[in-house]
Amino acid sequence: MTAEPTTDPTGARPAAPNAPTAATVPLVPLHCLLRSEAGPPRLAALPTGTPVWVLTRHADVRQALAHPDLGRSSLYAPDAPPTVLTPNILDDPSSILNSDGPEHQAIRRTVQRAFTPRAVERWRPWVDGVVRELVGELVASGSPAEVVGALTKPLPVRVISRLMELEGLDTERLGHWSDHALSTTAYSAEEIAVAIREFGEFGHQLVVERRKNPGEDLVSSLVQAADQTGGMTEAQITSLTIGLVIAGHETTMTSFGNALVYLLDPDRAEHPGHPEHPDRTGATDRTGPAERDAGAWRRIGADLAAAAAATEQILRTVPLGDRTNAPGQLRRATADLEIGGVTIPAGAIVAADTTAANADPEVYPPGPLDLFAPLGTPSLTFGAGPHHCLGAWLARMELELGLHHLARALPDLRLATPVDRIEWRTGLLTRSPLRLEVAW
Amino acid sequence: MSDAPQLVVAVDQARCIGSGLCARTAPADLALAPNGRALPTRPATGGSAELTEAAEMCPVEAITVRDATTGALVAPVW
Repeated sequence: MTAEPTTDPTGARPAAPNAPTAATVPLVPLHCLLRSEAGPPRLAALPTGTPVWVLTRHADVRQALAHPDLGRSSLYAPDAPPTVLTPNILDDPSSILNSDGPEHQAIRRTVQRAFTPRAVERWRPWVDGVVRELVGELVASGSPAEVVGALTKPLPVRVISRLMELEGLDTERLGHWSDHALSTTAYSAEEIAVAIREFGEFGHQLVVERRKNPGEDLVSSLVQAADQTGGMTEAQITSLTIGLVIAGHETTMTSFGNALVYLLDPDRAEHPGHPEHPDRTGATDRTGPAERDAGAWRRIGADLAAAAAATEQILRTVPLGDRTNAPGQLRRATADLEIGGVTIPAGAIVAADTTAANADPEVYPPGPLDLFAPLGTPSLTFGAGPHHCLGAWLARMELELGLHHLARALPDLRLATPVDRIEWRTGLLTRSPLRLEVAW
Repeated sequence: MSDAPQLVVAVDQARCIGSGLCARTAPADLALAPNGRALPTRPATGGSAELTEAAEMCPVEAITVRDATTGALVAPVW
């Protein structure tokens, strides 16, 4: 591709922002963000000015995400109103994320079997091995340490690299492209276009290579499945392949980093606006917040079942991002329909606010959060309906084992940087610590 | 598979996330209800490759197919 002419006569590109940009003003940790209260559907506007119906009740969000007349592909139809300011890789119409119905199902079938709970459970021993190795190296490096670079970032990258047999490839480059995939404001439209082209070329080369020399990896199996059943375009196969890379690089790291901020925040109890906190476990508890924090952290390290329960509660209560780009997961009505007592006309945009729905008092008892209580009703963190997160079980396992082994090895772990001095990765759909200094 | 043992399909309503994969894979045996959760279409079935696939493919393993007489799990078993 020839470069677009720029206003700079030297042809030099403008200085790249320190992207993903590090915020210069203190941001509240994700677990302290105020969320919308669950209530009837309300009309709001997206940053583009497009009107949007925001759903906040658990039942409404769940119904919307599973509704056959609320789709993703119609968001990219020629008559669709603008929903994003700067499109990123996830806005590719070939993506599994932006297809519906039988076409979506044809794409999903090529990889679904690899991600069922029992399939993922077979990977537990080696995921456990990767976690132990990274935690071991972190401990050996001595206190203080930086836990994003040492654990929360490399863990999901190593896991997806092994599943897709990406070992030996340039992981820095894969991470760089993945950042562009989730960009909201971190990168310019031009930078995103370059990344989309490069990432697409990489993905297509990988597809062609594995088609020629298939192995036991996920890319080979998805290419074989797609070629056997037919009906998938080469663009869709490539998009699915790079989608798996993106998912493997970004969301688990985000969730793990934010979970650590949440669990190790010494002042959680004092954060206003967050009543659901494990430190507020009743008036009879007379120990100080720090001691109670240590209790929860130690319990996660002592008991794997407790780590699994805490993982579910953390996934429910700590959001992945600020939702500044949209108030929820977007869908577009392809027919008139009714949700939550409101008629939504064909063509309208709907945002399913899973963060609000995950705190709906009709479903989850209001008041102090018991970090170790079973959820009862599954949270909507991984969505619902046809686009329910493919990697949900893998993400759960990585988070559960990551928290457990870190807490077991370092029961006295604490943040070495005050929460209001944490540097964040911003300008992306997700927000997580850029660096997190810890000590023990 | 008409002479196969009678099978009973069940969908765990708490687990079901309404992906709709099963209803599209095995429409004779599973359908998506208006509440966005899958339900068996009939009390017993002779079973089919599609039904087995639907049970194996469910993203949250909410579907079980059992032998009506012995209760043995027929799918998912892989």
